[in-house]
Amino acid sequence: MRKFILGYLLPRIGQYFMVIFLGVTLTFIIPRFSPNDPVERQVSQIMMSGSQVSPEAIEHLREALTEMYGLSGSPWQQYWAFWGRLLRGDLGPSLSTFPTPVTKLIADAMPWTLGLLLTAVLISWLLGNLLGGLAGYYTESRIMRAIDVLSQAVRPIPYYIMALVLLAVFAYYIPLFPFSGAYPPGTHVEWSLSFILTVVRHSILPALSLILVGIGGWFIGMRALASNIVSEDYVVYVENAGLPERTIVFNYVIRNALLPQITGLALQLGLIFNGALIMEVVFGYPGMGTLTLQAVMANDYTLIMGITIFSIIGVATSVLILDLIYPLFDPRVRHQ
Amino acid sequence: MQPYKYSRRAFLAQLGLVTAGGVLAACAQPAAGPAATTGQQAAPAAGAGAAEVAPGVPRTETLILENPTGRVVPADDFNRWRPGIQSASTGLQQLALDALWYIDPDAGIDGVWDNSLAAEKPIYNEDFTQMTVKLRQGIYWSDGVEFTADDLIYTVDIQKNTPGLAYSGQFAKYVDHMEKPDDYTVVFHLTEPNSRFHGLFTVRWSACFMMPKHIFEQQEDVVAFTFNPPVSLGPYVLKDFDPNGNWYLWERREDWERTTLARFGMPAPKYAMYVAPGPSDKKVMGQTSHDLDVIHDIAPEGMITLARTNPTSRGWFKSFPWAHPDPTLPSVIYNNEKPGLNNRDVRWALTLAIDIVRVAMASYRGAATISAIHVPPTGLYPQYYFDPLQDWLHDFTLDIGGEAYKPYDPDASLRIADEARKALGDMVPTDVNEIRKAIGYGWWKYDLDAAERLMLQAGCSRDANGMWLLPNGEPFKIALLAEGETRPVMNRGAAMIVENWKEFGIDASLDVRDNASRARLALLGEFDAEFGWTIETWGGHPDLFFFLESWHSDFYRPTGENAVGRNRMRWKHPELDRIIEAIQRLDFDDPKGIELGQEFIKLAAHEMPITPIMSYNVFSVCDEYYWEGFPTAENPYTNPVANWANTKYMFVKIRPKQQA
Repeated sequence: MRKFILGYLLPRIGQYFMVIFLGVTLTFIIPRFSPNDPVERQVSQIMMSGSQVSPEAIEHLREALTEMYGLSGSPWQQYWAFWGRLLRGDLGPSLSTFPTPVTKLIADAMPWTLGLLLTAVLISWLLGNLLGGLAGYYTESRIMRAIDVLSQAVRPIPYYIMALVLLAVFAYYIPLFPFSGAYPPGTHVEWSLSFILTVVRHSILPALSLILVGIGGWFIGMRALASNIVSEDYVVYVENAGLPERTIVFNYVIRNALLPQITGLALQLGLIFNGALIMEVVFGYPGMGTLTLQAVMANDYTLIMGITIFSIIGVATSVLILDLIYPLFDPRVRHQ
Repeated sequence: MQPYKYSRRAFLAQLGLVTAGGVLAACAQPAAGPAATTGQQAAPAAGAGAAEVAPGVPRTETLILENPTGRVVPADDFNRWRPGIQSASTGLQQLALDALWYIDPDAGIDGVWDNSLAAEKPIYNEDFTQMTVKLRQGIYWSDGVEFTADDLIYTVDIQKNTPGLAYSGQFAKYVDHMEKPDDYTVVFHLTEPNSRFHGLFTVRWSACFMMPKHIFEQQEDVVAFTFNPPVSLGPYVLKDFDPNGNWYLWERREDWERTTLARFGMPAPKYAMYVAPGPSDKKVMGQTSHDLDVIHDIAPEGMITLARTNPTSRGWFKSFPWAHPDPTLPSVIYNNEKPGLNNRDVRWALTLAIDIVRVAMASYRGAATISAIHVPPTGLYPQYYFDPLQDWLHDFTLDIGGEAYKPYDPDASLRIADEARKALGDMVPTDVNEIRKAIGYGWWKYDLDAAERLMLQAGCSRDANGMWLLPNGEPFKIALLAEGETRPVMNRGAAMIVENWKEFGIDASLDVRDNASRARLALLGEFDAEFGWTIETWGGHPDLFFFLESWHSDFYRPTGENAVGRNRMRWKHPELDRIIEAIQRLDFDDPKGIELGQEFIKLAAHEMPITPIMSYNVFSVCDEYYWEGFPTAENPYTNPVANWANTKYMFVKIRPKQQA
């Protein structure tokens, strides 16, 4: 146990914090290398809307905004102040929607993205791997071949093109689903069955655009892995031993082929914090994707940093959890 | 290994279902999709009235408009007086806020000038150091409090004394003190003569709107205050909004008669909903489904699709080019301090190397309204500036090698129409006057030979590959700053200008940047040329001071320092200063202002500090399925561009479509 803690657990936890520290530091630095200036952006916006633009008035405004946005002082001072706030759970105010806290914007958008993407990723992972495993074992099955061809065809389609196609077909030509949004106008967010059903109905097309393309990817990967495992000695052995096919497929082929796919899933789960940007824009979904786009378009340092920090922590945590639970899936790691 | 057998039957059954669904889908008619392209579409049937846009909100009583901001984050912030506010175009500035005066970019509902909260025009003393405002009586906030001089004084005072509010710098500079002779009169004592002080309170797109003193004075921090729900001074109140910022629903006030718009009648829609419809193709779907009455702007291709497939869609012009020309002038803005570009002959050479027909086709597929002169060809400017200057333009000459060269091409717009007709057929007008009105007058000749002679006259030369060199022998390079995905028409226009210049032998490149980068580089002068706008006018009023003020040399900042206002091209000229000072000494409505404006245009044409290209055309499309009477080129009582505060006038002029 001591060996496990010192040799396996602690180094990974240390690595986890180091990754977050470096990631957060880079997140602070990179926007400051950008030639954009959020203060100038606001100044030019204001100048667009009024006819009186004296140099004194503009300078006055520039100073006020720099102070308000917390951009005064040296980069070092800003950096330490940033860490001080971060450790207190404060990501500062958004610059483009000042003085709204970044944490509020993220908290409003995150549930929608998590709900949609978590569901879509898990469904596509489960279905893709199940079908891929079956296709890898039943190589002669015409049905599996058909699914293989479909997957090969669907896989290269960008999810946002799929989104537009689904939208045109199932919201416009056959109006089965709503055009956009997470719920209809006039509806209020509440914990009730009818609202949940409404949200589910609104999320079907966005989720489907991710699932259809996602399944293709997982299917192709799993099929290749399963095809290799089928010719392994232990599979041939249990076939000759007369074990039921269902047992062979699930306990010997899919289970062993699943290990790299679990790694892939962990990384994908980490990335869902970013949202599926274009899909959210197409469907008018109020998640992290549209928030990210708005932050980038508005050159909103603090919001970009907040979203990126969530993403860094998400990916790092996913990898850490994967590292910690991997021995449960892979006896070779346990043995080491 | 055996072939897989277990779920084939089930799979085939499901496949059959899916196939049947597909066949049905293929056979199904579009919900309300591409309609017949001829004939009248039926008005909403009586049964259509049962449709609701929200619980208890009938579709037939609701006008649905696009909010071009898209999804508003945060959704619950209505403090319009804080820079960076996202909710301005959610109906807030159009339906709930009000200003002292409005100048319409078109003809106006009752003339271009409207005394809105003010009972009359601003009254200046002789040396423009005092401005008196007489306020309209009997106007009430939606919570029952009367609007008085106290609100106006508070609005100015709180902004003057609160750094970080939108007008704080301007009021701090110009306002010495105010006095209130009575509840409906405010006298501004200015720190210096300023004949255009009222411009701060006059809506073009927006202005300094009035603040409710009784609400804001109770707040500890007026900058952080979100003003939710907004207390309205306009004819509508906020009924509901999406906490995720996708829609805002406004309801007509019970006491709408106590607002300034009541002078023109009752706003017809009981409800107005501003929505974020998404990308261009979704707007097309939304309008053909009659779920989106007013599109703010759409790609030219989207407009063409609507024109072909939805008989009730209506642009500003009945047919091509459809779009509403904003009083904004996209131009090639040269940095007049860069080598080569600091020479008038070179700037003129670059102008003559631009093929306006190809630029119009590339940017707007021909649906551009071109302008050879330095004001937009919109609103009432054709009669103020374009018509009176046609003879002068015909006779205007450049001196090229001692010869007088006439650069004006009066038929440029006709050639654009001919080119557009190849793709769009009889959608494109053939009548010369219609073409003039819609596509513009003339432009400068596309004449590479004259451009070459001007370059040589400026001391430039060509290298062995035919590329132009500066007089000092260095390659003449121009990177043209341009917008990217935010405005495809601007991006495509810039790309074509670069193409034109390359053909002429200029080492030109397209430098696409995000808006924030472009703004920063342009302000600092860290650019060769930019395709954007620095000229914006009132549209309905001839006064050019709106943009000219900051072109005075007092505002000049050299390259490397942030430009003040609109003089990003760093152009200085004593004659320009004289004109600006003369305009500033005149009353806003003095007809001499037009003469001085024409003098400015002649000077700018001679010097060509920037090359004017066209007005910024907005494809605002109104669907006449539920509502009719939208503003058009034939009935230009205001503009239909949904985020302009002036669109409030639309609400009293539109009417519900007659029910079948």
